[in-house]
Amino acid sequence: MNTPLHRKFDMSRRHLIKAAAATGAASLVPGLQSAVYAAGSDKPEKEEVRIGFIPLTDCASVVMASVLGFDKKYGVKLIPTKEASWAGVRDKLVNGELDMAHVLWGLVYGVHLGVSGPKKDMAILMNLNHNGQAITLSKKLADKGAIDGPSLAKLMQADKREYTFAQTFPTGTHAMWLYYWLATYGINPMKDAKIITVPPPQMVANMRVGNMDGYCVGEPWGHRAIMDGIGVTGVTTQDIWKDHPEKALGTTSDFAKKYPNTCRAVIAAVVEAGKWIDASLQNKLKMAETVADKSYVNTGVDAINQRILGRYQNGLGKTWDDPNHMKFYNDGAVSFPYLSDGMWFLTQHKRWGLLKDHPDYLAVAKQVNQIDLYKEGAALAKASVPKELMRTSKLVDGTVWDGKDPKKYADSFAIKASAV
Amino acid sequence: MSSPQALRIVIVAPDTLAADAADPQAAVEAERSRSLRIGMLQNGYNIVAVLPADVFLPDRLAQISPDMIIVDAESQARDTLEHVVVATRDARRPIVLFTNDDDTSHVRDAIAAGVTAYVVAGLAAERVKPVLEVAMARFQHEEALRRELADARTQLSERKLIDRAKGLLMTRHSLSEDEAYARLRKTAMDKGLRLADVAQRILDVADLLG
Repeated sequence: MNTPLHRKFDMSRRHLIKAAAATGAASLVPGLQSAVYAAGSDKPEKEEVRIGFIPLTDCASVVMASVLGFDKKYGVKLIPTKEASWAGVRDKLVNGELDMAHVLWGLVYGVHLGVSGPKKDMAILMNLNHNGQAITLSKKLADKGAIDGPSLAKLMQADKREYTFAQTFPTGTHAMWLYYWLATYGINPMKDAKIITVPPPQMVANMRVGNMDGYCVGEPWGHRAIMDGIGVTGVTTQDIWKDHPEKALGTTSDFAKKYPNTCRAVIAAVVEAGKWIDASLQNKLKMAETVADKSYVNTGVDAINQRILGRYQNGLGKTWDDPNHMKFYNDGAVSFPYLSDGMWFLTQHKRWGLLKDHPDYLAVAKQVNQIDLYKEGAALAKASVPKELMRTSKLVDGTVWDGKDPKKYADSFAIKASAV
Repeated sequence: MSSPQALRIVIVAPDTLAADAADPQAAVEAERSRSLRIGMLQNGYNIVAVLPADVFLPDRLAQISPDMIIVDAESQARDTLEHVVVATRDARRPIVLFTNDDDTSHVRDAIAAGVTAYVVAGLAAERVKPVLEVAMARFQHEEALRRELADARTQLSERKLIDRAKGLLMTRHSLSEDEAYARLRKTAMDKGLRLADVAQRILDVADLLG
């Protein structure tokens, strides 16, 4: 159906590769050669890398690294593998069927600490994207006046019944954004609402038949609800936490130890793909065409490209340009696996009772986030690396998270899972 | 629960909500599920329900409370089940996955990692049986370890409570350790309470009165 576009894209892709080869011959390659190929010991130990992904817009940098051939530039071959569920991604990472994956931060940390399943030492090589998720409220709620946090809380107070909200994985990012946002407006997700887990591509269908009042998921499934006229955007996740970490490039600690050169090469390739996506509107549109395909997200291009470009609408006639749309590079700030980002998920796992005791937040983050590997990979891709390992973020409820006192932060929330 | 045939099994079948006629993957998943169900029924397994992988799955599982849940490894319903696993951490039950993966080393790895058991669909029934047996045995073994660990933790924290209460009695009432313990024990016996509960009450009251 969109063959002409693809053909056009193939053309430009060829141009791009040719261009890369041309500049490479002149200046780029000597530097790379010494870094990657010339020294035999720097050669990727494993050249084919099976990398799992879930059909969501934010798998884009992984997919584009492969489609545009950035992987080959660094001496590896990425084999993106479409997965049906986060639990499947986890099991395949743990048993080695997948080498790496586009994966939820909270899932990686959950496995590392043995929350709910077997414990396995895990590794995060980089962050894949900032922003670009949303909480959608059903049209039915909107008709009753619930269109954002405060009005939702008011409606739930006035019109008592069971309210059902969906997220995508119990320890994952969407569960944490949803819980955090509800709690900001005085709704305890553990007591005042029913929370269910629904696979991302099924959110829209379930909302349509009235199985839920709201859901939190990555794009394109937020915008899709608006296109289909069944929901409104209650909040974007960037309005919960501007430039929040979202998906990570995850693997096991064993893999990172055994194949450091491969890890560096994949980091470089994916960072470069992120840089490419963020570089121009043109590139973003090309990315949308590519990942909309059946073999990736399997949806219409129009469901993806609006929000990728920062053109938002809430489904009630309000439109806006969001400068904090989904980003893949942002001068290196996106890709850096900040220790404070990892620790934040632990604080929320503790807050909601997924962790019964306080872990050693900083130690766990240092074990999981492969800062050194990331820095070396980023250097190959000539990406800027932030100086600090922590960053300061202000969240929607006004609290500031800087990673300095995680225990105090985790205990500071008035609304949390009841301690038993 | 000794023989797999006596297990109350629930099978989670492909979701009709998401059924996309043009999606060959979904058709493959449906066929794989169908052949597994037929195979298990023919071999006398007690399938108490075949549930669709929809948003009501957690509720239905809670009602039926099966001994074992079987689901396709490549099903989107895995994440819904994951929710059940996390929500019922204190009442766990084994989840068995089935897959078309011919490479049985993955099956072994998965079981060794304790992830779940993998059953290769289309396997002869006599080969399904040992896998289910291993899954169940492994699950029960892990549950026993888990319980032991939980018990040990409780004992440890109870011991600490009792020690703190003893210390309090010793300083406040100038008792020897033996006397303090004897007094705790007597109170526990008189009131029909556990030693740790008495200790907790003493500490609570001390907190309250400062």
